[in-house]
Amino acid sequence: MSGAVGREPVFPTRQSLGLMKSKLKGAETGHSLLKRKSEALTKRFREITRRIDEAKRKMGRVMQIAAFSLAEVSYAVGGDIGYQVQESAKQARFRVRAKQENVSGVFLPQFESYTQEGVNDFALTGLGKGGQQIQRCRETYARAVETLVELASLQTAFLILDEVIKVVNRRVNAIEHVIIPRTENTIKYINSELDELDREEFYRLKKVSGKKQRDTAAADAEILAARKKQEAEEAAAGGSAPAKPEPEAEAADVLGENEDNDVIF
Amino acid sequence: MEGLFFNTNGGFVEGVVRGYRNTLLTGQNYSNLVQCETIDGKYSLSSSDRLSTTLKFSPIDVKLQLGPAYGDFLAALPPNPSTSALAGKMTDKLVSEFRYLVAQSVGSTAKFLEYLTYGYMIDNIALLITGTLHERDTRELLERCHPLGWFETLPVLCVASNIEELYNSVLIETPLAPYFKGSLSHQDLDELNIEIVRNTLYKNYLEDFHNFVQTHPDFSGPTREIMSEILQFEADRRAINITLNSFGTELSKQERRKLYPEFGNLYPEGSLMLSRADDIEGVALAVSAVSDYKSFFDAVGLSQGGGGMGGMGGGPADGKSLEDLFYQKEMEMSKMVFTRQFTPAVVYAWMKLKEQEIRNVTWISECIAQNQKERIGNFISVF
Repeated sequence: MSGAVGREPVFPTRQSLGLMKSKLKGAETGHSLLKRKSEALTKRFREITRRIDEAKRKMGRVMQIAAFSLAEVSYAVGGDIGYQVQESAKQARFRVRAKQENVSGVFLPQFESYTQEGVNDFALTGLGKGGQQIQRCRETYARAVETLVELASLQTAFLILDEVIKVVNRRVNAIEHVIIPRTENTIKYINSELDELDREEFYRLKKVSGKKQRDTAAADAEILAARKKQEAEEAAAGGSAPAKPEPEAEAADVLGENEDNDVIF
Repeated sequence: MEGLFFNTNGGFVEGVVRGYRNTLLTGQNYSNLVQCETIDGKYSLSSSDRLSTTLKFSPIDVKLQLGPAYGDFLAALPPNPSTSALAGKMTDKLVSEFRYLVAQSVGSTAKFLEYLTYGYMIDNIALLITGTLHERDTRELLERCHPLGWFETLPVLCVASNIEELYNSVLIETPLAPYFKGSLSHQDLDELNIEIVRNTLYKNYLEDFHNFVQTHPDFSGPTREIMSEILQFEADRRAINITLNSFGTELSKQERRKLYPEFGNLYPEGSLMLSRADDIEGVALAVSAVSDYKSFFDAVGLSQGGGGMGGMGGGPADGKSLEDLFYQKEMEMSKMVFTRQFTPAVVYAWMKLKEQEIRNVTWISECIAQNQKERIGNFISVF
């Protein structure tokens, strides 16, 4: 009866049966809700996985192009411009904004990139030669960073979703395999205990009523006998009882004799 | 007449440079380089095969192909070198050869060679000024300086902690002081973009160099002809590039005009038109007086890939940018310099060719390293 999962330590009363029943109902509702949530999240998760795959491939291509455009710059300028660019950049042109997206109760951060137009700190780099290549290179790298930002938001969502899906699945499984069976067991237990009580009560009642019947029957018989005797006596007294008065008469005789006749030794 | 006494002082240097010229990579070398699979092949042939493999088709590594020309300089490269390390080693060779030439030269030739280094000095000083402006530790910047632009007082620049001190006490001691004087004050260093400072200096340098070869009595003959042609081209190229690159930036037209060197084929009418140009058509119009530049613009800007200009290089003309065409032209001019004699201008030409070679090799190895062979032919080879 108790099984592997055991049951809750409750007294088998009707009140706790009611409690358990509502608990089971709640657990079932929660289970179906969580199951649906987990499915929604998994769907989302699969989509994100697919998009990560795409984004990574895209990143590979874009980074390759970007690295190549840097090679073009070093060919055109004929030297290293890294330091000049580093030193002349004062303001970020490429910025990232973080947003939150709600996927069935899970907040996923989303990074959104945008360029601050008009900020162009190293526009004059390579003024003498290679300026156009530098600007072109900057454009390609801006695109590369865009892809990176996209990938970053996907990866973050991926990690968070992974965690959440694990938690939700754990809950679903816990409810499905622990809480519901345990509650069911408890209900069964309470039911059986209550049934047992019922049966005991029934038996006891039966016993009591049987005894009562017996008593009543005995009492009835006594009354009947008493009544018959009375009738017989009445009949004897009426002279209509030749057989019956005899023993009575004998007895009465005996008695009468005793009474009547003194015992002579 | 000019050849009569040239060899007394400059003959050795010229001879050495002509020797150097013969070690420049040829079209054959480049076509071998393009076939390479790696920069530093692990499965390269043994050293005994080296000489024979360079002559025929051999898809091996870049380092091996460069072996005959660069020899020991590449020996110190770490395994699997980066392209910048490779370029650095090649520059080292250029520097050491140039230093040898400087050590061998006297008189006006020595002065001429000194002028060649000023361009690099400008770059170095711009680097240090940038560092000082941002209050960086300028000592570590010294390592980034181009070795050819090194001069004795360069490390002293690091002593200056603020820009005024730098200007008043340090820059005045450098060979570039005349270029600062009159056109840039110490406030300018602080306020103007470093690129404007650099280009102002470069403009002054080009004008001074031009003036030097025009007026110096020793350079009366071929040097004057060659160098004025080359420097005029250089001046025009800078003017055009500055104009093109300044579109869409905060550089105003007046400021832009100040950066144009005041000589060259375009000066003065073309420069004036350039300073008024608003877009690439304006530039094309400004340079249309000079047929060479006009054909460049035709090939690049208006009919993409239509012209046959620059087709003599390694690659097809349609992948070329304006800068490529300018480089191509520069290389052809440099090549022609070697047809003249009794002039230190060959040193200039050799340096330009060598720099282009370094750029070419860097480009090729970059293409190989990134496995992007489609545009590997986009280099300029003139031999």
